[in-house]
Amino acid sequence: MLSYAYAVLSRWLPYPLNLIGALIALLVASLAIVAVIPIIIGWVDRKYGARIQSRWGPTYVGPFGLLQNVADLIKLLGKRVITTNVDILSYTFVPIALTAAAFLMILIIPWGGPNLSIVNIPYNLLFIYVAMAVSPLLILLAGWSENNKYAIIGGFRGATQIATYELALIVTILSVTILSGSYNINDIVAGQSSVWYVVYLPLAFILFITAGYAVVERDPFDIPEATQELLAGWKVEYSGLRYGLFLLSDYVKIFMLSMLVVYLFLGGWNGPLLPAFVWFWIKTIVTMMILLTPRWVYPRVRIDQLVKFGWNWMLPLAIINLLAVGMVVFV
Amino acid sequence: MEKQKGVILNIGPVHPATHGVLKLIADLEGDTIDNIKVEIGFLHRGKEKMAEMRYFSNYYPIVDKLDYVSALQMEILFASVVEKAAGIEIPPRAVYIRTIMAEIQRIMSHLVFVGSFGMDVGNYTGFIWAFREREELMTVVEAISGGRLAPMYICNGGTFYDLPENFSYMLSPVLDRIEKKVKNEYATLFQKNNVFIMRSKSVGIIDKQLVKQLGITGPNMRAAGIERDIRRIDPYLAYEEMEFEVPTEEDGDAYSRFLIRIREIIESIKIIRQAMKKLPAGSYKKPVPWLLKIPAKYTLVRHEVSKGEMAMHMVTDGGMMPYRLKIRSPTFFSLKALEKVLVGSRIADIVAVIASIDPVMGEVDR
Repeated sequence: MLSYAYAVLSRWLPYPLNLIGALIALLVASLAIVAVIPIIIGWVDRKYGARIQSRWGPTYVGPFGLLQNVADLIKLLGKRVITTNVDILSYTFVPIALTAAAFLMILIIPWGGPNLSIVNIPYNLLFIYVAMAVSPLLILLAGWSENNKYAIIGGFRGATQIATYELALIVTILSVTILSGSYNINDIVAGQSSVWYVVYLPLAFILFITAGYAVVERDPFDIPEATQELLAGWKVEYSGLRYGLFLLSDYVKIFMLSMLVVYLFLGGWNGPLLPAFVWFWIKTIVTMMILLTPRWVYPRVRIDQLVKFGWNWMLPLAIINLLAVGMVVFV
Repeated sequence: MEKQKGVILNIGPVHPATHGVLKLIADLEGDTIDNIKVEIGFLHRGKEKMAEMRYFSNYYPIVDKLDYVSALQMEILFASVVEKAAGIEIPPRAVYIRTIMAEIQRIMSHLVFVGSFGMDVGNYTGFIWAFREREELMTVVEAISGGRLAPMYICNGGTFYDLPENFSYMLSPVLDRIEKKVKNEYATLFQKNNVFIMRSKSVGIIDKQLVKQLGITGPNMRAAGIERDIRRIDPYLAYEEMEFEVPTEEDGDAYSRFLIRIREIIESIKIIRQAMKKLPAGSYKKPVPWLLKIPAKYTLVRHEVSKGEMAMHMVTDGGMMPYRLKIRSPTFFSLKALEKVLVGSRIADIVAVIASIDPVMGEVDR
């Protein structure tokens, strides 16, 4: 998208201006996506959860309560930050870095078509994984900076959990990349034009969803922020805009997870009859609704159970899966 | 100065999982609890002393706030004490109305338990569902008494009002719905849910010995395998004429405490149905003067309320107010068990175990 905007603007503008103009167009596009996605997904999540719980969910602000999250964000903007005894530098740095990492994924990931990403780079799958993988350090830093016992317990829990499951996640991703021979999502999707990878790699599919769930800290794996035990875990001292940034990045992450599931296992934009773009969005929305469900059904797992499960089952299974794929592909 | 090994974590009194104002002081070693202390008294309002300054008829509003989740049972208990002391026989219809109300209140209290236990292990849906069912019963109680949480329905000599005419048409479908939902929907959400079982099984085991040592009663005791129910061994109200089971479980862990409550809801529904069938006609109230004078004596009445065995011991001196009123609250004894069972478990278990013994701080602190 960057190169496209650059090419279009070069017709009218001289060298430095066309680059700046392209960058501005990029910024506007990504900001629009950034602002709209969490709000829409937040609304879907709230409404869906409410219907499971036989409530109505948001109905009052806007049509069908669509603007409820906008109202909430505006409320968060107006909040004072009341903290004592925090290390202000790292305290401020974490929400910015975490949100930037989440939004980097928006720039890199293709949006439902070959090369239809805001910035096109060859190793985009690896880059997205890296953007996901910075979070344990940041969570630990946040827990540390707040000088609060609940926060530090939450921070350590978050770091433990995500470090455990990211290992399983990358090993699972590796099995897909071995099969497709590329770290580029476009190539991975092109490789699934006849058969989806979920047929070849059913185990990896399940492992990826479980590990991804743990990495994005969605219920029932929201142990680091366990509301009932640790109040909000590592988020306990955050309020106002900083807290709002966490909310935004959470929704972006769950959305990225469902997009990745579609790209890696469900054939991306491949599909008969309908255009590629439509197929991709149908798949993504269905996947996302499925991924949103466990939060409303399952209680929270305990951290020792989760970590034990991660090391005893997830990682060995992922490695066995990787070895099996490697043997089949190379031998 | 002695070197401190781990971290001391204060949980509560303002904490979402402490069901009011319970405070726990936990010595942590990593994520494991080395030592834990229970601190109570944050809701102390001197209710026992207040009784000494109220006429026998004027203490009901305060009794409502003892165990505010089962206020009707508190009212019935206090009414029973006063009536026993004053030698008042209440008409049979009032006895049956009180039985029905006590069981409705037990279901409501256990639904709150189910909801808050689900919530505390992280299942928000269970909370909403349980409160949805409770709301239907609340509506019935509101139609009968005019109040919801603190109904003020029982008075000396019977009840304030008769049951409304369409009472059984109002209550029966609600009971049917609740029975269906508890048996099907809740079973899917809790008993068949692996993660829920993982969280609550073999967590916070209160065994028979500990039960006897600390004097724990009610569902918490029956979960340890001791079959004892005041409704059965010392029947009051109309329980002698009712047929019901006293459910027991063997393990004594959080999960069996949950199952006991679920099974008690079903039993309570049975009792209400029988009582509605046998409901005698006649007066709902025996006229009793508002200002009673009770001769000097000791009176003890114990009831099986939703949390366990609750007793009131009243000393009268011939005046219009009690000389002394001692309340035995069941949760007070159960809370002591936390100090024993939580040692060696994880932080996440604290909330599950607190929720599983179902504390209501109003009656603990009095």
